[in-house]
Amino acid sequence: MRGFGRFVIATLCGLVLAAGVHIVSILATPYLAEDDAFAKVQPTLTAEKAQIVSAPGAASTWMPRPDPSVAVAACAFDLRNGPIRVSARTGPNLLSFSFHKKSGGVFFAVTDRAAVRGELEIVTMTARQLDEARAAEDENEPSRDVRIVAPEQQGFVIVRVAAPTPSQRPQAEEAAKAVSCITEHAE
Amino acid sequence: MSTDAILTNAPGTGATRAPAPKPVSFRIVPTAFLIVYSLLLALGLGLGSTYWILKGDPPFGSLSLGPWKAWPALGSTSADPYMRAILARRGDVPLAIGEGLGFTATTDSEGRALDSACTYRVGADTPAARLWTLSVYEQDGRLVRTELGRNSFTSAEILRDAQDRFTIALSRSLQDGNWLQLPPTGRFSIVLRLYDTPGAAGTGLTESTFPVIERVECGS
Repeated sequence: MRGFGRFVIATLCGLVLAAGVHIVSILATPYLAEDDAFAKVQPTLTAEKAQIVSAPGAASTWMPRPDPSVAVAACAFDLRNGPIRVSARTGPNLLSFSFHKKSGGVFFAVTDRAAVRGELEIVTMTARQLDEARAAEDENEPSRDVRIVAPEQQGFVIVRVAAPTPSQRPQAEEAAKAVSCITEHAE
Repeated sequence: MSTDAILTNAPGTGATRAPAPKPVSFRIVPTAFLIVYSLLLALGLGLGSTYWILKGDPPFGSLSLGPWKAWPALGSTSADPYMRAILARRGDVPLAIGEGLGFTATTDSEGRALDSACTYRVGADTPAARLWTLSVYEQDGRLVRTELGRNSFTSAEILRDAQDRFTIALSRSLQDGNWLQLPPTGRFSIVLRLYDTPGAAGTGLTESTFPVIERVECGS
């Protein structure tokens, strides 16, 4: 009887601990995953142009369930080197940026509807860099940059350009490749 | 436990002391065993459940409209830890809320699993979006590859009738109109992506605006 009671208590302890293990392992997965999207786009860290991740047609890509009608390009960033300026010239077709944290999760997204005079330009920076940029700014001539504060120092930008018809696919791929991601070094 | 026995049974020394080591030695082994047992149980159940969850779809925050299923929070800052873990494991990049929303169907409108041995008709309307695409995937998440080379339609290239409605035929054999060829065997899934849609946050969408997936016939 007593042995059975102890067994029940041990089982209950095991279950409570299992819940803890489950929670910890779920929370740790984004940080431990070696095969996540950031790992795949990491080679683009030094590139000044977005690199194609999934060309239209999606013949060869690591993305699960790629959309064959959309060109996807990526550039990884590391804000420790300075803010990142992502800019694109918009065309007739849908173009969008989404900003992802290294540990997964979107923190900002914008489409070409927000473009000004055919130019879509976003500056991503850390909270500290934003303070510095504000301090260095001329009060009479405030910056017109659209500034986004990134929650993490590392991450990546995904550029999507739609190709509504197959004949527009090369054009969409060119547009995605033409997006520039330039690190702005502090003066 | 053993001190308890000694205190209460102080007078009767010899008789009680002799059997005392026996229950103690009896208990030490099971205690160690029970600790190991509960730790193994914790590891096994904890990691097992994590593995099982990560293999599947996010358990919370899904939006089901007929056969179509989406996780609007997947592409937002409010993605829950399960969503983030699953994204990391898949190595996936979701559509952000501002970009659009992707709906996946693995069953027809009557809840039967999509089978490439059958013929389906998908139509006739979609929610408002600047552009939508409808693509067919094999079970492992790759695009369906057929001789024809077509595995998706976009709103720009689809043929519509006079009422601006469309029908897409999904089958292995040739169909007229909008036709997507299915893989030779196995299950498949359909993904409907709405780009730049006002309903990207998952609000204001109703089932009636989504295409119906109708199973026409099965066999051969």
